[in-house]
Amino acid sequence: MSYQKITLKEGIYFHKIQTNKFKTNLFAIFLTVPITRENVTKNALTTTVLRRGTNKMPTQEEISKKLEEMYGAAFDCGIEKIGDNQSLKFYLEVVNNQFLPEKEDLVEMSLELLMDIVFHPLIENKQFKEEYVQGEKENLKQIIESKLDNKATYALESCIENMYEEKPYGLYKYGYVEDLQGITAKTLYEYYQGLIQSCQIDIFASGDFGAEKLERIVEKSFKEYKERKPNLVLKWEEKEEIKEPKKKIESKQISQGKLVIGLDVKTDKEEENYKTVVYNTVLGGGSNSKLFQNVREKESLAYTVSSSYARRKQNIFIRAGIEIENYDKALEIIKKQLQDMKEGNFSEEDLNNAKNLLLSTIENIPEEQDTEITYYFGQELAGTEDTIEMYQEKIKNVSKKDVVEVANKIQINTIYFLTNQGGQE
Amino acid sequence: MKVVESLKIKEKVYIEKLNNGLTVMIIPKETTNKKFVIWGTHFGSVDNHFIVPSTNEEITLPDGVAHFLEHKMFEQENGVNSLDKLMALGVDPNAYTTNNHTAYYFECTSHFEEALDELMDYVQHPYFTNENVEKEKGIIGQEIKMYEDDPGWQLYMNALDCMYQNNPIKIDIAGTVESISKIDKEILYKSYETFYHPSNMVMVVCGNFKPEEILEEIKKRLVERKEQGEIERIYTQEEAKIHQKYKEVSMEVSIPLFAIGFKDKIGQKDIVKRNIAVEILLNMLIGKSSKLYQKLYSEGVLMTEPDISYDFSEQYAYALITGQSKNPKKIEEELKEEIKSQKEKFDVEQFERLKRKVYGDFVVEYNNISDISRMFLSDFFKGINSLEYIEQYTSVSVEYTKQILTEVFDENNKILSAVLPKG
Repeated sequence: MSYQKITLKEGIYFHKIQTNKFKTNLFAIFLTVPITRENVTKNALTTTVLRRGTNKMPTQEEISKKLEEMYGAAFDCGIEKIGDNQSLKFYLEVVNNQFLPEKEDLVEMSLELLMDIVFHPLIENKQFKEEYVQGEKENLKQIIESKLDNKATYALESCIENMYEEKPYGLYKYGYVEDLQGITAKTLYEYYQGLIQSCQIDIFASGDFGAEKLERIVEKSFKEYKERKPNLVLKWEEKEEIKEPKKKIESKQISQGKLVIGLDVKTDKEEENYKTVVYNTVLGGGSNSKLFQNVREKESLAYTVSSSYARRKQNIFIRAGIEIENYDKALEIIKKQLQDMKEGNFSEEDLNNAKNLLLSTIENIPEEQDTEITYYFGQELAGTEDTIEMYQEKIKNVSKKDVVEVANKIQINTIYFLTNQGGQE
Repeated sequence: MKVVESLKIKEKVYIEKLNNGLTVMIIPKETTNKKFVIWGTHFGSVDNHFIVPSTNEEITLPDGVAHFLEHKMFEQENGVNSLDKLMALGVDPNAYTTNNHTAYYFECTSHFEEALDELMDYVQHPYFTNENVEKEKGIIGQEIKMYEDDPGWQLYMNALDCMYQNNPIKIDIAGTVESISKIDKEILYKSYETFYHPSNMVMVVCGNFKPEEILEEIKKRLVERKEQGEIERIYTQEEAKIHQKYKEVSMEVSIPLFAIGFKDKIGQKDIVKRNIAVEILLNMLIGKSSKLYQKLYSEGVLMTEPDISYDFSEQYAYALITGQSKNPKKIEEELKEEIKSQKEKFDVEQFERLKRKVYGDFVVEYNNISDISRMFLSDFFKGINSLEYIEQYTSVSVEYTKQILTEVFDENNKILSAVLPKG
């Protein structure tokens, strides 16, 4: 495997990952900007309007037919919140030439098609096609309104919203129904033009291919583009001292309660990130974690219980699906685990288990094409160039003392509970 | 060892049936650092009525035993939980139960031998006590509740209920809180002794292995078991016709969910070919480039392309289209028209294009050793070698596909299940 980053212009990068582990080649384009209430809905809408048609292939039907002819090449797009930034993500996965039933070349065609979708959309009367924008507004509205369909992610989103009221990270990545109304085909196109002139652009190619041709395609495509400073928000922020955690209880028709606890990690140094990764795994990563062992195995209080670390915001989110009447008991046991961590009440074995789990997760990164792309994109945003081996080394070096140190910088910010009983605290 | 090879996608599988009846399949992959082992038994939620070969005793199980057993296999007599032990090695272990099989697996990059020791140890050494069985009822009870809140699962179960009257595929894999309350350690031991016999099991390994070497590693970890005859499974006879045309429930969803199913005949000899043809047809009818999808999308009736699949075993076979839409009935009506028009004038150009797409879909399955292993295991229990899909692909002709269109996509076999928003 080899990874190489080429700076085409300031703010525009081509990342090559050459690997022979897969039957496919994967191409990706990410457009990244700081997230604001003004642009969040437009970002989500732009992503879906772009997939509707290009200058060369004005309908989705034509694009789909083209993809099907390319042995079912798969196009996908999505929108993601990364700390206080947002990425519009576009992917194209295609079977590698050597596994096709007949001799054909799909590599350049794939990258060109993906570039066309993102950078050469269908324009009519100097704006996006009216019908596409109207249709996608309706679709996006339904997506936003279906937020409640998955109770577990709804509970997590709601906890984050409560923690970050009126702040960028509290924004819903798909945006807001009330902001959709004012968007027209013209204003959205104007927004899009501004976006591609100012956002950070990352192009990824992963697979087994001759890279020179691809480089030429990419270089040629960005000739007309200006260099840019995307002003992404990448700074480590300071956490305020919290005396009394926020509590929010919400009632919906459900049979299993969803408890989410948002924690702050009050570190001021980004290098401490690795210690927090280990802390989080001891606390709630996998079946050896303190949460799983105590909340599920010892007390049978939950089927699912885990914690996850939002690195760019220095938050840990504990999530548990519990019997509604067990709320107090579950909360008490979870708090006890946090206290135990502070006092160092966990063994060297617990620590090693967590590190082993992390090390194998890291070793798995190059085994999945999209995971590997996500890893290098994370490095890009963090401004680091850690190889997989360096990352593993840093995890190995975390000691019990380090983890206890992190534990003592943890505070509960918000407790959120989705229940079926009325109540507001 | 028998070797089956696909030159098109450059994959090989080595197959060996051991003296004790266990089938081992080895798929070498030189380019990966990962190793994957999955061990499965032909015992799922549908196998609730059978005759024990050693005693000729006829047994009917409460619903949810196969899944309950899966949960309890990790616990060892010395107090160790094998799942935890494997996790502690940095190995990623898990297990799952389907309607026709149960499987235990792990994936790792290092500590392979220790992990194989542990997997083969716990699967061959059950340890059930009254106490540990009782405790599990609380955890599984929570899992059942999680499914009760899951609109997608309810949609699927209701689709099955529309297609089938008595078929055990309708039973919830985890059972119900009431049915699992009847499970005790005797039931678990009896099921274990019958179904966890090597002659009823298959192991699939995938990774950078030398076939002879890994086969020896597996052999030396096997525990001696007495021979056992064929397990006689008793299934309720199912009528060919559907049970009911339509079923709906209300749940807390913002947009309705729908599932349109076509019940198919079971016991088809050409099942692989049939499966390929049905997948091509589903793509032709309502896939992304279809006229129908484009129309429904532009009208806002569909927001994303529906999921399409063909599922089958010895007991059931059906094609299923599922998705989200504010107007499920409309999709059903329009689909009916589209099927009619394809039957009248079959679009050959579209067929050729989607045949290429379906080929690509099969190849992508070989990207990941975990997908590969699971696929070979689950196909094995259906009597299929997964590579047949790649090999038989070229034999799927226009004429054959037209015939399948008439057989499978018949209005009389069609059902609709819907989950509607409350209020």
